Amino acid sequence: MAEAAPAAPAKPAFDPKAACPDIRRRLWASKTKGTLLEGRLWPSDLWPHPWISESYRRGAFVLGAIAIGAIALAVGLGEIGAPLAALHEFYRQWAQARLPEAPAWSVEAVWILVKAIVVLHIILINGLFLVWWERKISAHIQSRLGPIFVGGWHGWLQTVADGLKLLIKEDAAPAQKDSWLYRIAPALAFAPVLLCFAPVPFGRDLEAANIDVGIVYVFACSGVSVLGIVLAGWASANKYSLLGGLRSAAQLVSYELPRAFSIVPMVALAGSLSLTKIVQAQEGYWMGFFPKWFFFYPIVGQISFVIFLIASVAETNRTPFDIPEAESELVAGFHTEYSGMKFALFFLTEYAYVFLAAALIATFFFGGGAAPTPLLSVIPSWFWFLSKTLFFVFCFLWFRWTFPRFRIDRLMDFTWKFLLPWSFVNIIFSIPYIFL
Amino acid sequence: MTDLKTDTMFVNMGPQHPSTHGVLRLGLTLSGEIIVKAEPDIGYLHRGTEKLAELRGYHQCVVMTDRWDYVSAMPNNLVFCLAAEKLMNLEISSRANYLRVLMCEINRIASHLLFLGTYGIDIGAYTPFLYAFREREMVLDLFEMACGARTTFNYIRIGGVSADLPQGWTEKCREFLNYFKGKIREYDDLLTYNPIFLDRTKTVGILSKETALDWGLTGPNLRGSGVPYDVRKTDPYCVYDKLDFDVCVGETGSCWDRYHVRVLEMTQSIRIVEQCLGQLPAGDVMAKGVAKIPKPPAGEAYAHVEASRGDLGIYLVADGSSAPYRLHARAPSYINLAVLQEILTGLKLADVIAILGSTDIVLGEVDR
Amino acid sequence: MVPDAAIAKLKERFSGLQLMEPAPVKGHLSVKLSGPSKLIGVIKMLKDELGYEFLDFITAVDWKGPVDLKGYIVNPNPNPFMPEGVRSQMISEPPTPGFPYREAIEVIYALSNWAAKSRIFVRVETTRGDPRVPSLIFLWKGADWQEREIFDLLGVVFEGHPNLKKILTPDFIKGHPLRKDYVHIKDKYD
Repeated sequence: MAEAAPAAPAKPAFDPKAACPDIRRRLWASKTKGTLLEGRLWPSDLWPHPWISESYRRGAFVLGAIAIGAIALAVGLGEIGAPLAALHEFYRQWAQARLPEAPAWSVEAVWILVKAIVVLHIILINGLFLVWWERKISAHIQSRLGPIFVGGWHGWLQTVADGLKLLIKEDAAPAQKDSWLYRIAPALAFAPVLLCFAPVPFGRDLEAANIDVGIVYVFACSGVSVLGIVLAGWASANKYSLLGGLRSAAQLVSYELPRAFSIVPMVALAGSLSLTKIVQAQEGYWMGFFPKWFFFYPIVGQISFVIFLIASVAETNRTPFDIPEAESELVAGFHTEYSGMKFALFFLTEYAYVFLAAALIATFFFGGGAAPTPLLSVIPSWFWFLSKTLFFVFCFLWFRWTFPRFRIDRLMDFTWKFLLPWSFVNIIFSIPYIFL
Repeated sequence: MTDLKTDTMFVNMGPQHPSTHGVLRLGLTLSGEIIVKAEPDIGYLHRGTEKLAELRGYHQCVVMTDRWDYVSAMPNNLVFCLAAEKLMNLEISSRANYLRVLMCEINRIASHLLFLGTYGIDIGAYTPFLYAFREREMVLDLFEMACGARTTFNYIRIGGVSADLPQGWTEKCREFLNYFKGKIREYDDLLTYNPIFLDRTKTVGILSKETALDWGLTGPNLRGSGVPYDVRKTDPYCVYDKLDFDVCVGETGSCWDRYHVRVLEMTQSIRIVEQCLGQLPAGDVMAKGVAKIPKPPAGEAYAHVEASRGDLGIYLVADGSSAPYRLHARAPSYINLAVLQEILTGLKLADVIAILGSTDIVLGEVDR
Repeated sequence: MVPDAAIAKLKERFSGLQLMEPAPVKGHLSVKLSGPSKLIGVIKMLKDELGYEFLDFITAVDWKGPVDLKGYIVNPNPNPFMPEGVRSQMISEPPTPGFPYREAIEVIYALSNWAAKSRIFVRVETTRGDPRVPSLIFLWKGADWQEREIFDLLGVVFEGHPNLKKILTPDFIKGHPLRKDYVHIKDKYD
């Protein structure tokens, strides 16, 4: 018998039979490399004490590092309003020197075009970022991971990949559609949001246009988007879309009212309809440390804030007020029949409005770019504005992944019978502040 | 305004719709958002299992019962085996009986968790769905450890159960129960007592006792209307007469009551499973002398159990051959679904989803 | 005992009623009616006077027996859905000799009395050629879909049902699949 004994391996191979005498255990063990029940990490092992997980601690550390790095970067950059104004001045002089015969309005028009393109890119990048952020936040709220592969680090390129997919996707449309309206609806929904960003003060001297009636302008423009949504619902020749469009019209028009009335006290306190003036009115500190933000005006500020926040959530069609696109009832509501880039425009509009609503909250109630204490004024105003805005965007996302959805009639009751009366009452409450 | 001409609109809800829970089709006639007429249309998942059973042996029928209510398949296995065992006069060992009850009850937890999650989605809350599935995943893991399958088990066989528990299973099960007790409070915070959720469900879809009995409703739908009918109490099978548990009933029969009955039943199921684990006797899990291809003597039998969705009954006729001569399943989902045509009229479109979700149907069982 | 008293009362009022002993369904009462004409009366009495208030289910059985039963068993369980040339998964044992196959469809109603913990099976036979029984929909609305199901699968016509149409099988299916002599006609899905 010349049977050579096999060389003993350095690490003995896993023998399920030895590890698990029971046949059923053995079957399982051979599948899971030696662990039946012991090695399988049940969620119950982990969730009560997330800090025992090394990856959890590392994640928290990375997040902290990102925050500190961003603050350091912002402090390093400093205020960018004044350099940009200097750049504008330089451009004007340069243009006058090079093209002395060009009329002044055309020189200014080029500058306005540049500003419009910058704002457009803010909206686009904001859309890309918010979709990714929403997916991450919803995932972590729901104990999932969310996008994790594309781009290497936590799927940060996921929305870029999705955007590319939407661009090259077949533009399928229903045969019965109202062709012209069907095509114009996404543009009609998206164009106003671009205009809305013009008077928003992103920081000190950082608004695209300082409009004296900024508030009226913003509400007027955002009201036009409803038209796009209703047209989309009508033109799709789909009953669910139609219902979604009609619901949307009813809801958006109703919530415009408390939303506008809730900030009447702020306008009265600031004495101006200009967003820049409203921010300026909130500068300074009581007793040297407590910010003079409108939110901190007793009673009036808080009521206004709550009404404005609720109405803003409703205006942006987000849960708990997402009845125009209620997935469990209307499939996808007004954009059921849209695909490809047309759908992407609706999507982008929604996120742009979320960002706008959060920016308005920061402007009206939280002092825009003002630092919460004088000590923190080293951090530039645009960074404060961005942080406050993103915090309220986070609140929007947070609501969405926590609350159920209202029913249409209860939703209407809520605005007409609760929010609107209280916004009037609030105006009365604000009288003493104006005369003090 | 008198010149305004209005018309009703027919909306075809399903069979491909996100919240018709499978392939139910509802023909809705709408006036604006108000339902004028609702016609449930079923049969899109009809596989003719009652006919197929006539062509297969008794042992093969158990596999088909899994496919009725695929969300909670254990009671389906159980009820068929009980009926066949009645025909064959088989004595089941005590350990097998306890295991059957144990598995049925944790399957009830899994089934009610699926209901809770999907009902949250129906109302518009997405997060409870993921939470419920997180816990359901653990129940399915338990099933996988015990019988190798996660949803369609074929675990309960004629004469007992297919295999004994693996080592360490009971500890894992206890661990799950202890973990799960705390989670029910989490659902209460997130969904059950959420003001919007209450607003959507508390006054909607009210089924009086009389209506519920008239339509033959059973299970949590009937108990939500306040009728304490539970087969586990009124007609105890296996070892339910030795176990201590309460029958949970609702008050008004609204959607919320039907929902809450299921949440309460999960706590009762925890109690039952704990008692089963404590009392679990030693012994064989399969009766001796059961033929590979069972051939019951000619006769008829009726067995029914409290499945997750109601009173699931099997009426079985044997003619002495090795295949059933006739098998009729009293499918609770099928009977519970019929009530929709009465209660939907006059409500809003959003309420259709709330009510349909609260009846908790599984189309596999409706169509069989 | 309520059940015994109930049977006595029923027998007293309805002459064609017969208590089946030994009970075909183990552990439950079974009564057999001579014909569909008295069905409504019996069920009404059971519901209103004797406390059998809950309709458990309605079903029906085709008692024709395996179709190619011509004196001996060839294939007791012919599978109408099986492609040609394929053998059945399982060749069944022959049934018990003398099993009462007959040209009849039996409709079975199961009623429950929860207070007395009793269930009664009311059985009524009709012909296979023109099976007709009265509908119970005015007693229990729950009978609606169950009767439609039996109409669809076994072809029993429930007289007085307001909406008696197919419910489970698709419209192109001809015939009633749960009948023993059902022959499947190949369609586009085969």
